[in-house]
Formats: sequence, C-alpha cells, structure tokens
Amino acid sequence: MKSVNFASISRRTFIYAFVIILFGVLSFRLFQMQILNQEAYEEKSADNSIKAIEQIPFRGVFYDRNLKVMVDNIPAYTLRITPSDYDPKLNPLIDKILGSDSGYVASILKKNRIYSKYIPIRIKRGVGFEVVSWIEENQEHLPGVDYIVEMQRGYPIGIKGSHSFGYTKEISPNQLSKEKDYYVPGDYVGHNGIEKQYEKDLRGVKGFNYVLVNSKRKEIGKYKEGSQDKNSIKGKDLVLSYDADVQKVAEEKMIGKRGAIVAIEPKTGEILALVSAPDYDLNQFSYVTSREFLQELYNNPDKPSFNRATMSLKPPGSTFKMLAAIAALDMGIITPSTTINCGGGFTFGRFFKCHGNHGSVNVVHAIEKSCNSFFYHLIYKIGLDKWKEYALKFGFASKTGIDIGEEAAGFIPGENYYVKMYGEKWPRSIMASLGIGQGEVSVTPLQLAKYVALIANNGKSFQPHIVKGYLDDKTRQIIPYRFPEITTGIKQEVFDIVKEGMFLVVNGSGTATHIKMTDIDISGKTGTAQNPHGQDHALFVCFAPAEDPKIAIAVVIENVGFGGTHAAPIAKAMIEAYLKKETLKKNELKKDDNQIIAGVKLED
Amino acid sequence: MRIDYKLSDKFDFGIFVPVSLLILIGLAAIYSSTFNHPTMSGNFNRQLVFSVAAFIIFFITYSLPTNSFRMITTPTYLLSLLLLVVVMVIGRKVSGARSWLDLGPFGFQPSEFGKIGTVLAMSAYLSRKNTDIDSFKDIIISLGIGFIPVMLILLEPDMGTSMVFLGTILILIFWKGISLFGLFIVLSPGFVAIAAIFGFYYFLASLILVLIMLILFRKDVFFSGSIFALNLAAGFFTDYLYNALSPHQQKRIQSFIDPNTDPLGAGYNTIQAKVAIGSGGLFGKGFLQGNQTQLQYIPEQWTDFIYCVIGEEFGFIGSMIVLILFLYLFLRILKIASTTKDEFLSLTIIGILSVYIIHYLINIGMVVGILPVIGIPLPFVSYGGSSLLVNMFMLGIIANVYRNRKNYT
Repeated sequence: MKSVNFASISRRTFIYAFVIILFGVLSFRLFQMQILNQEAYEEKSADNSIKAIEQIPFRGVFYDRNLKVMVDNIPAYTLRITPSDYDPKLNPLIDKILGSDSGYVASILKKNRIYSKYIPIRIKRGVGFEVVSWIEENQEHLPGVDYIVEMQRGYPIGIKGSHSFGYTKEISPNQLSKEKDYYVPGDYVGHNGIEKQYEKDLRGVKGFNYVLVNSKRKEIGKYKEGSQDKNSIKGKDLVLSYDADVQKVAEEKMIGKRGAIVAIEPKTGEILALVSAPDYDLNQFSYVTSREFLQELYNNPDKPSFNRATMSLKPPGSTFKMLAAIAALDMGIITPSTTINCGGGFTFGRFFKCHGNHGSVNVVHAIEKSCNSFFYHLIYKIGLDKWKEYALKFGFASKTGIDIGEEAAGFIPGENYYVKMYGEKWPRSIMASLGIGQGEVSVTPLQLAKYVALIANNGKSFQPHIVKGYLDDKTRQIIPYRFPEITTGIKQEVFDIVKEGMFLVVNGSGTATHIKMTDIDISGKTGTAQNPHGQDHALFVCFAPAEDPKIAIAVVIENVGFGGTHAAPIAKAMIEAYLKKETLKKNELKKDDNQIIAGVKLED
Repeated sequence: MRIDYKLSDKFDFGIFVPVSLLILIGLAAIYSSTFNHPTMSGNFNRQLVFSVAAFIIFFITYSLPTNSFRMITTPTYLLSLLLLVVVMVIGRKVSGARSWLDLGPFGFQPSEFGKIGTVLAMSAYLSRKNTDIDSFKDIIISLGIGFIPVMLILLEPDMGTSMVFLGTILILIFWKGISLFGLFIVLSPGFVAIAAIFGFYYFLASLILVLIMLILFRKDVFFSGSIFALNLAAGFFTDYLYNALSPHQQKRIQSFIDPNTDPLGAGYNTIQAKVAIGSGGLFGKGFLQGNQTQLQYIPEQWTDFIYCVIGEEFGFIGSMIVLILFLYLFLRILKIASTTKDEFLSLTIIGILSVYIIHYLINIGMVVGILPVIGIPLPFVSYGGSSLLVNMFMLGIIANVYRNRKNYT
C-alpha cells in the first residue's frame, strides 16, 4: 500500500526548512566567532603560540670598599625535569646518577606538584659535568629531563661573611604567593643578610624572549624576529663598606673561638668587618644543600647559624666604664681633677671588690687602670635613671638598624625595672655593679662597636651599615645609599677626657699595654663579662689612630677569661691590616701622582 | 519526444561542481595541516589518490544501469552486517573504537560501507508495494533493518557513526510518510533518552511532556500506556548505555557541558578549535599562515577538525563558501529526491542526503562548539579514504538517477 504522504510537499518543505535553518544557525555562529569575537580569540591564539622565555639577569655582585670582588656569580649546571613529559619510572636511575639518596627526585617532584606539569622543575643545582654529558648521550631515553646553565653564588677571595652576606634559596610557596607579579616557582631569592635585605637591588629586572612554540611547547622560532624581546637588566653591584683584608683577618683570628667582632669607621658608621664565630660555608647553599650540612648547622651546640654580632646579649663589663665617666663629666658631677680613693673596694650595704688597690684616682686613671671602686662611687652620684639616659644616647637597649635584618635590642635597667622587680624599696646595692657594666645590663657586640665609634668620633656618627651603595655600571661611580646620622649632644671636652683614659689603657700603664704599637696609637678598653654559667667572656673595645680615629672595634670572645689577653690582640691585628694598608696605598698614590706630573712635564 | 543533446541534461553539474570544489578545498586544508607534520606529511598525497579513485567510482556508479542498485541491495546489506561483526573480532582500535579493518596495506571502516547497505535495504523495504508505514509491524521491521547495524556500531563503540545511522533511519521513515503519531512513537524514546543524560530532573520533565503529548493524541489508554512504558524504559536504558560508553566518550559529553573544566584534557579540542576559527576573522590568516594549525594545536586536525583549518586560514569568507556549497548541494539533492517518482530511488537519495546532512551538522556543530565533540568527518573535505569513496559512490547513485530521471519522473 502506497502511503499518501510519501515525499509530500509538506515533508519536502520540512527538510528544506531544516537545511536552511541549519545553514542559518551555523552562519550566525561563524559570524559571532569570526567577526564579533575575533579579537578575543585572536588574543587566545597568540597566547597559545607565543611563549615568553624568562631571561634571568645576573645577580649583583658584592664589592668591598676597595672594589675587590667578595661575592660573584659562577656558572653551574642545573638538572631539570618537566613532569608532563617525564616518566617517574626513571626516578631511581636519576637518583643514582645524581648520587642522591633514593627517593630524592620523587620528593622534589612531589613538593612541586602544586605547579603546572608543563613547567620544568629544578631537581638539582650544581650537578657535575659527567651528569650533563650523561643526559646528552641518553637524551632519547630521558623524556622530560634536561639541564640548563645557571648562575650561582661564588666567593672568590675566600671571605666567608656567613652572617652578613646571606645566601639565595628557591623561593618559598609562601613568599611566592605574596610576590606573584615578579617571581615564578623555582626562582632564587635572597634568604638572609644582605642577599635578602637588598634583594630588589640585587635581582635586577627579568627580561623576556618571545618565541613561537608548537602545541608540544617546543620552540620553533623567534616571534617577530625578536623585535618584541625585552632584555634583562643586570642587578646592582653592591659596594660594601667591608674591608676585605680586615674581614679576612677577623675571620681567621676567630677560627676555633666563639664570639663576635664588629669594626666600624667612626665618621661614617660604615662597618669594616663583622664576624660571628663559629661561622659556616655559604658555598654549601649554592647547591641543593645537603642534609648533613643542615644538620650540622642547626644541631651544633655552638650554634654557628646564630649571628652573635647582632643577636648575642652579654653584660659589657668594664667597657661600659666610659659611659659612666661620660655621664658624670657631662652632667658636671665630676671634673678631671675629682679623685676617689680606692682602698681595694667599695662598701655599699656590702663590700664590692676592686681588682687592685689604686689609691687616689681621677677619672682618666680610673679608666686606665679600670678601677672598679671609682665607678661604684660614680653610678650613685649619677643616679640610675640619668645613667640609663646616657646609655640610651649611645643607642643601647634599641636596635641599631643595621642593614642585614635580624638583631637584638639588649637591655638597660632603670628605676622602673627594679621597682617592678623588688618594689619601691629595692636594694640600692644592685646599682653598684651596673657602674662597671655587670648585672642586668645586656648589649650586643654591634652596639658596643657603635658606642666606641661614637666615642672615637666625639659623639657623632651614622647608623651602622654594611652596604655603602651600588656601582653605576657606566661611570663605575659609587652611588651611595643614605643612612641616618646619630648625635649624642655630649660636650667635646668630655670625649677628650675619656679618650685620654682610653689612650693610657694601651699606651700608659693600663690593662692592654701588650698591644701597644710604635707607629699607630690605639686607644681602647678591656672588659670581662661575668658569666654565671661558665668562664667569663673577654671583651675589648678600641679605636685607632687615637688622634684621628679611622677604625673602631668591639671584640667579644666567649668563655676565655680576661679581655685584655684574648680579645685585644685580635683588634690589633685588624687595625694593622686596615691602617698599614692605608699608608701603603697612600704611598702608592703619591708615586702615581709623581709619575703623572713627570709625564706631563715630559710632554711639555 | 524531444531529444536533448545538452550535456547538462545527462549530467548534473549542480551536484558535481559543489562536491568537486569541496574536495579541492579539503585537499588544500589537508595540505596545510599536514605538510610540516612529522608523521602525517604523506596525507595530502594519499588523499589525492583517494580523490582520483573516488571520482572513478563516481563515474562508474553514474554509468551503471539504474536497476542494478536494487539488485545489489540485499548482498550489500548482508555484507555490511558481516563486516561489522568481523570488525568487532579482528578490527583495529582507533581512538577507543574497534572500527578499522586492515586489508593488506589498506584499512577501511565497515561502518562507512554499512551506510550504503543500510540506506539501500531500508529504502527497499519501505518501497515494497504492501508496506504500510503506519502499521506497527512495518515500523518495527523497517526500524529493525536500521537498528541492527546501529547496535553493531554502538558496540565498537562508535557513537558518532551510530547517530548518523539513527538520523538517517528517522528521515527515511519520515520521507516514506509516517504519520505524526507514528513519528512521535519513534522519536519520543530518543528524546527521553537524551534528556536522561542531563540528569534525573530532565528525565522527569521529558516524561511529563511525553504524557501530555499522549493525552493530546487521544489514542486508547492501553496503547498510550505501552508507549509511555517504552519511554520510561528508554530513559533507564540511557543510563546503561552511558556506562557502556568508553571513558573518552563519557569525558567528551561531560566536557561539552563545560569545556573549561579540563582545558588540557577532553575540553582541549573544543577550546583550541574555537580559538582557531574565531581568530581567523573575516579574511583568515592566509593559506599556511594559521598559527593554531601550523603549530599543531588541534590533534588529528586533518580528519574531524578539518573545518578549523578553513576557518583559521580562510576566515569567515572561506568558511561561508563551504557552508554555501553544502547548502546548494543539499537543496539540489532534495530537489532530485522530490522529483524522482520511483519510491526506492527517492528514498535512497533522501537516505544519502541524510547521511551527508547529519555528518555536516555534527561535524561543523562540534567544531564551532555548539555540539559535543563527536568524532565524525566532514563529507568530501576531511581526510580519509573510506569516507570519501563511500560518499562519492553514493553521489554517483544520485547522479545516475538524475541521468535516467526521464524513466522515473
């Protein structure tokens, strides 16, 4: 039976309409995509195939004050894995080639799982050439494994600077999330000290090469012949105020000891050397840091990672006697001719011993001989809060603001403190020991150095700092950073008197005559900080030359006893290294001048 | 009787010219997407050979006596079924579907060949003198002829090709003249099944709609009840079918709903295809200048995604030319089908037209992102021998009918 509806006009029209409508829908869609939204798609298409390859700029190097390179960049191979192409079955093989513990590669990959699998992950820095040639030879069996040449920190003249230079380290996820606009996973950032504090100057500005990549992210050429490329800008080369020779001497002298040294140029607040001992080798951080090294660093009872120069707090001992002298002289409580009789000690409630029987002493000789009796008397005359006021003028009990970050503020007790501890009727006898820098007072070696620098420069200096400025790449001129000035507002005569006493400590019949030199006059003061837990700490503060101080030093050595014996010779060695070179250089310069003059004359 | 010697009277340039142009555009696009490809650079030459072979087949088919198509119907259909069974046993898997038979150096897809067999067999059954398309028996038998290959292809599993078959079956019974209610019975389970994919509430809503329709048709309660039960079953069957789909096909359906959920996985093709077409703009980036194409962002672009090459490199104008060529071809074929009074031949031509249209709809719809990614080729344009040869054979049938139209109109 034939259907009446077969191929009827209405059915034909239906299919006809269907074809037309379909055509209409598809045309409209094309119009929408290719005409209306073309730009959006165009952009996506460009994003797809144009890849920006980062150019990591050279990190700025560190010069010392005489433009000797202390920290630079050296090329090293880094092994990388791109997880999207990589077969985790290769893990044990690569562990073995790298000489790492088994599971090392897997653990690094796991740590980086949060990032895109198309981004290569740095597995190990500083791999040897044999690893690189092995990758080259076995390339086709190692999908997703490659290596790149990267710069890492080098320390060419053997200066450790472990507590001030700091090191660079792969950026933490935490920091990355805060500074997403500049850093990407795997970037190295300054982690400590100067590297951290001056990160923004040191890192430079990343550049970008725009390349065409195919869908496998493989480079197949430059985008627009490289016309859109942006070159990286090299990081700023920092000029440190360190003197490499002085720093080296200080580091060497502290080997096997515990303690700290800070040397400051009094007029500028520039730190010439800063050492905390024991120290550690920053080279260990240039590579993927070994577990043993970190264990040693953090488990060693001597705490090498602890920056004693800015963090360790100890009573300043007799080095603090100048403070009481300055306070008393400035307040007019005593004059240079005021004498006090030392009968081998001082009685206030109980008997406070002096280490000798100095007889009738004035302030100059009290400093020279380090007479305790004199200063026991003095602090009662000054009064506790006045004494504290003077301590604060020298910056004690507050951070110096040194440009390497972490530091301790220390503590200077006042009336309030004892009232709080013992009530209104606190035993006044406690005060006596403060006069000689013992008791509740605590200072850092850096604060001591700043204090002695202020004395040396008659109460004026600048905030202590390690970085002088940076070197302009074109002119090779130092562009200085600015640091706040410090003034104590204490009269000049006061310093003259105190400095006379300090001069005699070394050059008279004082406690450090064994470091007296014929050509350079050193002024100083020894100290011993009482240590209830063991042997006393040795301290020595000094500056030189006495008449026009160019270097002020504070040395603290833990648990070795009397300061004059152990601490003073180190300071002397540093002064020699610094000042004798200065004279040497001056002589050379004079010679150069003569030659130029001679040359000009010849041309005439 | 007037004797006409004009060539156009014997040969329909209206179908030959658009198809030839589509094949040429296809060759250009295949060249562009493969000439610098590491392993596929031979595709252009192979397609060139296929094209020559396809034209030869076209002309042979064109010259055959028209009644030979009726003669080959049963053997072709049975051979189709046989090959579809064989491919499940010894076939080669390509992207999840066991759809390829290897014959020496050549491989081909039995499902492509099956289109000819199924269209011819259904047309033959529907055009029998005593077939009543509104009788339940004849609906079941004609649907059965179509559903056997559909089931076999679903088992491969090749969802795209089965959809082509399903659509073709529907259009054939529609052309034959099935009543609206009959069409409703056939269509409603499919509608419910698709709704069920989207979730339970869609399923429920579609059932309610079916119920309303049944009430509006005012058939007897028992009959309406059984049809409702059929719909219910179809919905539950979908769930079973969805689970039977290969994971990559399930992912494609999911990623159609939101391609950005997995931009580097199942949604990748859609996103990159849209970017390629959209960034083409009005005039396109120029031949061999499309970065999406040249940098191989779209996998297997020379087959199912060939239309993005055209969209990217020849722009809106090039894409529209392709659409217009298809439009013209379809309307021309529809005209031949309508003017052919022989039911078998008219149905066959409509069946062939359905195959073309559904391929065109699914392929371009997928590439421009209005349909899920279901991998089927664009007729005459995509790379692929089986598809091109079968399509040109079928076009040959249409040209043949046109040549002999005076006997049948």
